[in-house]
Amino acid sequence: MSSTEPARAASLVIGNNIAELPKVAELVDRFGMAHRLPQAITNDLNLCLDEILNNAISYGYEDRQLHRIVINLLIKDNFVIADIEDDGIPFDPWNDAPAPPRGTLQSRKLGGLGVQFVKTLMDEVSYVRVREKNVVRIGKRLADGGVDGDR
Amino acid sequence: MEIVEGHAGEITVVEVKGRIDSTTAKAFGDRLTTLIKTGRSRLVIDLKHIIYISSAGFRALLVAGRAAEQANGTLALCSLSAEVQRLFDLGSFTDLFVIYASREEVLTKL
Repeated sequence: MSSTEPARAASLVIGNNIAELPKVAELVDRFGMAHRLPQAITNDLNLCLDEILNNAISYGYEDRQLHRIVINLLIKDNFVIADIEDDGIPFDPWNDAPAPPRGTLQSRKLGGLGVQFVKTLMDEVSYVRVREKNVVRIGKRLADGGVDGDR
Repeated sequence: MEIVEGHAGEITVVEVKGRIDSTTAKAFGDRLTTLIKTGRSRLVIDLKHIIYISSAGFRALLVAGRAAEQANGTLALCSLSAEVQRLFDLGSFTDLFVIYASREEVLTKL
């Protein structure tokens, strides 16, 4: 490993405000470029983080206070992983069943669509409640041969 | 996200570039709704330069599609990349919208 190799982990703290989500997308884009991740994987990771953070910010807080949400990115064991930690109300997103994809344009319901996207696009999803915080992990497997710095 | 609009007769072509996500979906949906309310209810949305569309973006599309239908208009989509098409398939939206391969095709057939 050379001293100029980019760190294989990155972190960001945002407030519980949708307007802060572009910062996350910028971080993921930079992280993806630094580690030469395939663009499709960077895009999937961004989409899934948007869904999880939108859920956490929109439904996770019962007060109007400012809360911190921590996003950690990591490349490990041929996976790119994102951990999202918030102090919202306990909520396991993976228990959220999507609305049946039935109906017409006028009647179609969309509940749970974001979670469905994440479950389908990611190779690993998990949830734990630790010290009054929700910790959601999503992970995407990288192709054999890994990424920059694995070889 | 960037929105570029053009007209072909009664049809309004809305070309969207970038990401339609939690941050941008409201502006995207509001623009479509405004067009429909002001009588431009025959819409083509060109998704060629979309990186991805989140559930918030699909919600905006659904709302606009309903409004266009209620105004006796049309909302058609075109030029979906393979990645964006995959999201339409995952969410079972492919059958809800009229989707054409290219802008040229939709302007010929609409």
